[in-house]
Amino acid sequence: MNPEEFNRHLALIEALLFVSKEPVEPGRIMEFLGISDIEEFEKILATMEKDLLLDRAERGLMLKRSGGGLQLVTKSGLHEELKQFFTVKQATKLTIASLETLSIIAYRQPATLTEISLMRGVNSSGPVKNLLQKKLVKITGRKQVPGLPALYATTPEFLIYFGLNDLSELPSLEELTELFEEKEQPSLFK
Amino acid sequence: METEFSGYQVQTEFFEGPLDLLLHLIRKNRMSIIEVRLSQITAEYLAYLKSKRGINPSRESEFLMTAATLIYIKSRSLLPKPENPEESPEKQLIHTLIEYEKIQKISKMLRDMEYTELLLWRRLEINENFANREYELKEVSAFQLAEIFFDIVKKKEYEQFLEIPSKNYSIAKKQEEILYLLETSGYIDFSEYVSRLDSIEEVVVSFFTLLEMIKRHMLIAVQEQLFGTISIFKNEAGKLDN
Repeated sequence: MNPEEFNRHLALIEALLFVSKEPVEPGRIMEFLGISDIEEFEKILATMEKDLLLDRAERGLMLKRSGGGLQLVTKSGLHEELKQFFTVKQATKLTIASLETLSIIAYRQPATLTEISLMRGVNSSGPVKNLLQKKLVKITGRKQVPGLPALYATTPEFLIYFGLNDLSELPSLEELTELFEEKEQPSLFK
Repeated sequence: METEFSGYQVQTEFFEGPLDLLLHLIRKNRMSIIEVRLSQITAEYLAYLKSKRGINPSRESEFLMTAATLIYIKSRSLLPKPENPEESPEKQLIHTLIEYEKIQKISKMLRDMEYTELLLWRRLEINENFANREYELKEVSAFQLAEIFFDIVKKKEYEQFLEIPSKNYSIAKKQEEILYLLETSGYIDFSEYVSRLDSIEEVVVSFFTLLEMIKRHMLIAVQEQLFGTISIFKNEAGKLDN
């Protein structure tokens, strides 16, 4: 690829991502631009990321990979000012009940309402409904047991919401235990 | 967790459920879950339940259920143990607690991830916050549609004055009529449309036609607010058809 072509590709990718509301699959861009070499494509992305966006303090955007796609998002340090300018209230966060329910679905999927409620020790139909409405989970089928209860699993929106590329990026339970033990250890000696 | 304001207490947080409260008590007493003597913290658990401190009122029955289990475990611990300890309710509860602690950890992690992500703005959010939407359009289910249908049928029952020999209504004809209406006026207000119809037969046929068309993703029914009217739109190229 000559430098001219490289720059043209770079400009096009930036423009595509700027216009798109949702993360764009890298495969789609590659096909569109006729790039078959993934390394070449990654080189363009790296240039965009390092030279144009992420490492440049004067730029407000950065390249984000989530939900298996590419997206331009604002840098996190600008959040407060953006909130003021757009007079937007604090984005609504998920409730603890919803987060717990989502944790079970994410790690046990597909899971039924009964399984979720048993694990949480409380009826969880409220949070499940809430998550369905937010499209963070969906029904993927029915469990072949009496009553044919619905099976819930996470959605692509779930990945995007939590900034994940795919489910394998969630830490395993072992990793998680280590993660929190490291954090919690010092407090034991207070 | 609690703050005092001019004489009354403001409770800022509830325990999510009995497991949450139990874990709290275990941590408070600096026990480890595996070695915990549940019979020891039963008294404390019951004290919380009695004072309703941190007990979510809508979850009270579930807190009581666990209280019953705790008392059962305690009463068993006073008796000699002839049975297989593997199946003891204590073991079961401890197992549930261990699992629940993991869930709490995952929730904490998701909370952190959510926080990080909320700091990043996407085009989507700006669109959502800026579009001058007075109300959020919500897709309604066939059940909600049916509810309104039966309300209207009830109304129609009182309205009939004279018998007119029934016309032959067909779903195919109705479908054409509905599509024509949508072409000309853009949308159909469901209640208004149905109330204009001549007879119950026609209402029934129209309703089935609408259901069929929604099922085939030709139409989409949206409700502007709870208990509000339902509007029918053409489903543009399966936009909402996932």
